[in-house]
Amino acid sequence: MSARTLQGNGRAGTTGARPGALGFLTDTTLCIGCKACEVACKQWNQLPMDDFGFTGYSYDNTGDLGATTWRHVAFIERVSDREGRRPTRLKAFQSNWLMMSDVCKHCVYAGCLEACPTGAIIRTEFDTVVIQQDICNGCGYCVPACPFGVPALSLTDGKAHKCTLCYDRLKDGLEPACAKACPTDSIQFGPVEQLMERAKRRVADLHAQGVTEAYIYGDREVGGTGGIEGLNAFFILTAPPEVYNLPAQPELPQRKVLPAFLSTAAAALGLGLAALLSLRRR
Amino acid sequence: MSIGYERRWETRRQAGRSAADEARDSYYGLPAIHKPHWKWSIVLYFFLGGISGASYVVATLARLFGGPEMRPVARAGRYLSLLTVLPGPLLLIYDLGRPERFHHMLRVLKLRSPMSLGVWGLIAFSLFSGLSALIQAAQDGLLGRRGPARLIRAMPDRLVGLLGSGPAFFLSGYTGVLLAATAVPLWTKNFLLLGPLFLSSALSNAVAALFLLLSATRQASSQALERLERLDRLALLAELALLLGLRANSGPVIGRPLDEGRLGQAFRSVLGAGVVAPLLLQALARGRHSGMAQALRLLAGLLVLAGGFLLRFVLVFAGHRSADDPQATFELTRKR
Repeated sequence: MSARTLQGNGRAGTTGARPGALGFLTDTTLCIGCKACEVACKQWNQLPMDDFGFTGYSYDNTGDLGATTWRHVAFIERVSDREGRRPTRLKAFQSNWLMMSDVCKHCVYAGCLEACPTGAIIRTEFDTVVIQQDICNGCGYCVPACPFGVPALSLTDGKAHKCTLCYDRLKDGLEPACAKACPTDSIQFGPVEQLMERAKRRVADLHAQGVTEAYIYGDREVGGTGGIEGLNAFFILTAPPEVYNLPAQPELPQRKVLPAFLSTAAAALGLGLAALLSLRRR
Repeated sequence: MSIGYERRWETRRQAGRSAADEARDSYYGLPAIHKPHWKWSIVLYFFLGGISGASYVVATLARLFGGPEMRPVARAGRYLSLLTVLPGPLLLIYDLGRPERFHHMLRVLKLRSPMSLGVWGLIAFSLFSGLSALIQAAQDGLLGRRGPARLIRAMPDRLVGLLGSGPAFFLSGYTGVLLAATAVPLWTKNFLLLGPLFLSSALSNAVAALFLLLSATRQASSQALERLERLDRLALLAELALLLGLRANSGPVIGRPLDEGRLGQAFRSVLGAGVVAPLLLQALARGRHSGMAQALRLLAGLLVLAGGFLLRFVLVFAGHRSADDPQATFELTRKR
């Protein structure tokens, strides 16, 4: 994992984001796990509470992103390595306790948007991905079409919901609620190009400070792969993506549409011929 | 409107494994992606839609190339096609989170969304299916003998059938593409196989349904039934090959839901009782015309239909389970 995003295959640190696109840089090395982003998001977007209980999964009682949870702070306690050995030395920056505020990635090419059969999911003037609530009819196809498990159907109103990157706040020139509330600037908001430059500098700094595991998740090498062409909301991580429940090399599901239709058409030809030969008059 | 929330993670921990165990190889074993909410109504739609499209194709080919002895097959195929396509829109609308907004599907046509294509394909096919059934009804004298019935009877039923065969094939097969174009590991891993599998299963189901209908009503000659049986055999063989291919292509991790638990049993039942057993029963009955042989053929038809429904059930719900398994997702998306 070490230092790969600064060398790699030339796609590291690049994004297909359109000029002027707005997004998030979530720098997990700065996250203190306060969940102010979760709370600010719920408050601003008037989202109801989730289940009020304990999961037993460290400090994470939220579980994952959902219809009423658009920011989710993951907690990973690394009490031992794969062989069960306890660490005896602490490294800098989060060391054995990883915290990461997950959010909709606002993909450059978004699976949910392409799947939506009503046109409810749109790309806004800020190049964010938003579900128009007056259009969505709750077909639920965007839910499995997201490679990151972001949109979800609400049992309350039957429609699909996810982070809007605070579209209403952007309209008024304000930054999204979670970024505003973050006390350590772990969540940073701005034009994706600038954020990507900042992220690359930050990763280089971290490497210089001895955190050689740090890398960008959401460029075209990791996270924004397979036709997704980058994530407008991207991250700086210090462990493999799977540790944070993120796919390392996701693929845009719609890449499968044409080949799948072609194989189906070929099968239709074959079966049609078989039917013709079986049913014809002899 | 009820206030509710969904706990997706509470009961997911495997027996005998602590949170620390699960945290070692995934994020506490929590799903990395969200599964679709599709339930029985979608399974039933896949089943009926498949039969509808395939029976339309069978009816068209029987009418075009079958000669007079296949006329009962064409007639039954047209009626069966309309009958099975009618519940489709209702099942789909019932499945929506906001059923009263179903017409929002008609705002756009998106070529990269199999769901959008499916909606338009269903509409196009319904028109053809309705028209062909109408012509058949006029030919059968069900609409009377005068006025509009004469006009309808004069319509070119073979041309309509030929034009409608494209949408018919589409309706039977697109459901496989619909599943393939998602992030669900089991479905997307088998993206080339699902469409052909749905198609061949639809064909075997439609032929079995027509065989049962025509046998029960004693409408068709034994010659026509023999031809149907031959087609059923070919479709079942294709289905068998595709099912085995699907299992092999899924691999040990992504294919786990096809092996384990009740879904694994159901998958084996599809293979054994839904495909292999009908093939054997038909082989036993071949060339014989006793009452016993006829009973075997009917049993084979029933098994094919049950297997077709169960196949769609297994594919949908095994997909759910593979979406819930982070290891399956990571198997697919691991850095290579």
